[in-house]
Amino acid sequence: MATKPRSESAVNALRMIPTKWAVILLGILIVYVVLQPRLNQWFGWRLPSVASMVGDEKPAKATHKKGESTNNDTNKNETSKPAKKGKDVEPDLEKESKQETASSKKKPAEKTKIVDEADEERDQPINTSGKSENNNPSQPAKTATKPKNESDDTDPLYGFLTEVGRNRYESPAGLVYGPGSEEGHRLKHIARHLEDQPNRPGSHGVFKGGMKPFLTTIDEGYVRAKKGAKGTTKKEDDGSMVYEITFDKAIGFIGGEAGGRKKNPATKKLRLVVRGSNVITAFPF
Amino acid sequence: MTAPLIYVESCPVCGDGLCRIRVCITDQRLTGCVLCDECEAVWTDPSLQERVSRKPDADDPQCPSCGQSLWSKNAHWANIGEVCLLGWYDRVRVVSVKQG
Ligand SMILES: [Zn+2]
Ligand SMILES: [Zn+2]
Repeated sequence: MATKPRSESAVNALRMIPTKWAVILLGILIVYVVLQPRLNQWFGWRLPSVASMVGDEKPAKATHKKGESTNNDTNKNETSKPAKKGKDVEPDLEKESKQETASSKKKPAEKTKIVDEADEERDQPINTSGKSENNNPSQPAKTATKPKNESDDTDPLYGFLTEVGRNRYESPAGLVYGPGSEEGHRLKHIARHLEDQPNRPGSHGVFKGGMKPFLTTIDEGYVRAKKGAKGTTKKEDDGSMVYEITFDKAIGFIGGEAGGRKKNPATKKLRLVVRGSNVITAFPF
Repeated sequence: MTAPLIYVESCPVCGDGLCRIRVCITDQRLTGCVLCDECEAVWTDPSLQERVSRKPDADDPQCPSCGQSLWSKNAHWANIGEVCLLGWYDRVRVVSVKQG
């Protein structure tokens, strides 16, 4: 309907120009109609079709991909501000510690249900980013600007853990993941091992897979190591127990700077550090 | 963007962590120690000779001076100025690490 007046005015305009010019314009139009899709195809242009110019068809969609979201490096607590010099060390140091805390707030936040400690460091939610159990892979990593939608949150329990207290989650094997670590929660801490940190000095074990398979692997290793099964060792260290478990097949690779130098060799080994049943950390090594 | 990462060496306990300088500020007094950012083992200084034990029931690694959690608001990773103040600058490595 809306196109009718437009077509009529176009016909009127044609009537007002000499026949010779009308023929030439018509010729150009026909050539354009024939060539437009091909030019678009050959050169990747986005010339509009005649129909879209007349208004009968939607213009071609832009196919630019949105920038991928960046990985949340966890080594964020080092300040980048210049080193302080001066004698009035004590009051200034207090100030610095506040700046430090403020800078740590810059971490992009994706609020989940798990961590809601009062401590702002610990208020940082679990973000297993790149390799999380995101059920919608077409969706980019969530950002702080995205409106909060409970139903679209990553399941904080990964379909595997059971809540046993405030911010404390228990695995089927009895391992407890609770508040703690630099990241504020042990789950967030071990999630660092789902991604390589190629610039980090030394080794950085990386589990190949998402959070749920990682938790499952840790549980499996823990059950075996507690029994003292073949391919496992345990060592006590200041109240912590360090378990080492070798699996039948590779569970990840060695990342970090040292791993990168060795071309990121695959590994079948997992190291698990616990205090009682509380997980401190776990990573392939 | 890069930021300095200050560390002593890879952790002798867990192998994956970095022994980094952690400072705790209580009553305007600064205490430094070395904390593994992976397994949370604590040493009194960068020689890594003397471990700081934590109470069996403590959830977090503890400041060797005041006993507060080294993950509390009073504590943070030392910056270069603080490392100098502690007299440990020649015992640490400083690398630039890409962020974000
Ligand atoms: Zn360690
Ligand atoms: Zn203290």
